[in-house]
Amino acid sequence: MKRQSTLFCCLLAAALLIACAPAVFADVIAIGSKMENFSLPNTSGKVSTLSDLKGKNGAVIVFLSAQCPVVRGYNERISRIAAEYEAKGIRFVGINSNATESLDWAKGNAAENYKFPVLIDKGNLLADKLGASVTPEIFLIDANNVLVYHGAVDNDRSGGNITKPYLRSALDAVIGGKKVEITEINAFGCSIKRVGDK
Amino acid sequence: MVSKRPVPAWAVIFILLAFTASMVGQRRAKPVAKPAAAAIPVVKQIGDEDLRALIKPGGKPLLINFWATWCVPCREEFPDLVVLDKEFSGKIDFITISLDDLAEIKRDVPKFLNEMGAKMPAYLLKTADENNAIAIVTREWKGGLPFSILYAPTGETAYFRQGKIDPATVRQKINDQLAVK
Repeated sequence: MKRQSTLFCCLLAAALLIACAPAVFADVIAIGSKMENFSLPNTSGKVSTLSDLKGKNGAVIVFLSAQCPVVRGYNERISRIAAEYEAKGIRFVGINSNATESLDWAKGNAAENYKFPVLIDKGNLLADKLGASVTPEIFLIDANNVLVYHGAVDNDRSGGNITKPYLRSALDAVIGGKKVEITEINAFGCSIKRVGDK
Repeated sequence: MVSKRPVPAWAVIFILLAFTASMVGQRRAKPVAKPAAAAIPVVKQIGDEDLRALIKPGGKPLLINFWATWCVPCREEFPDLVVLDKEFSGKIDFITISLDDLAEIKRDVPKFLNEMGAKMPAYLLKTADENNAIAIVTREWKGGLPFSILYAPTGETAYFRQGKIDPATVRQKINDQLAVK
């Protein structure tokens, strides 16, 4: 009896420890590794896969938010880059992983700002898998689904003084068959609001 | 019979001066119970090098909160930060650094700090590249707001958190630092 109660106490303590542990994000997918195919519904509920959506030269997966002012500041630039590089065989795929944003909200925002599809990452499973933590945050894969760039769009959220166009440089390298010089740079923006965040 | 003599003018002036001086003295010694409207907090603009200087070890644990008025979770966690500041006043250094646009340095940033009753030194970081600032603070910062970091008195990172803090955790981490002899 005493043994059983001791065991029960240990199990309870372990369970409490797990419950109280801070959320740990999955490791960020490494540069040079292959991004696995994924499938998510778009804002109309139609499920698409990465393979369906990517262009012949690759894809840009961009984590977005309907309410983040940093994303709003980047919307025009992202749309412009998407339009420009779609013609060069790169497709953009938006992902909304924010647990605090309703489908209607995400849908309205997508219709207003983007011509590329925005997928709903309910439960932030894709964000966890890739290690995405902010919006806007970019993952660029080449024609073979290999991650070649991860991070910020550029170095100036205001857009008035861009001296390091990270994403454009990476896209040009991919299209030109060259090595991407800067492969990782922290994206600045709003934290993705994950399920369970208080 | 007592004759009523007029009080000399110099005596009246002397009494008035003495009374005024005593009132001024009293005010200095004892603040008025009901202060006038609180002064709007002054937010100082800083750049990357100022940030580097602020982070230099200063003998106490240093807690920094990076935030912005447009960041909802930043606003939500601010009351907890104000409580922590009061609780550890004098024991740690605690500063807040806003990443709002410079235009907000005299508008929304001090307005919000005032609403919160925030007394910690407040700064607004104007940087040409957020990644420079991130590199100065810690490579562990993934670029999201809010971001809080606690430095040990030696300058080493004792704790950091991207996203809203858990006040109990921060309290514990600060106490851990204060317990180090």
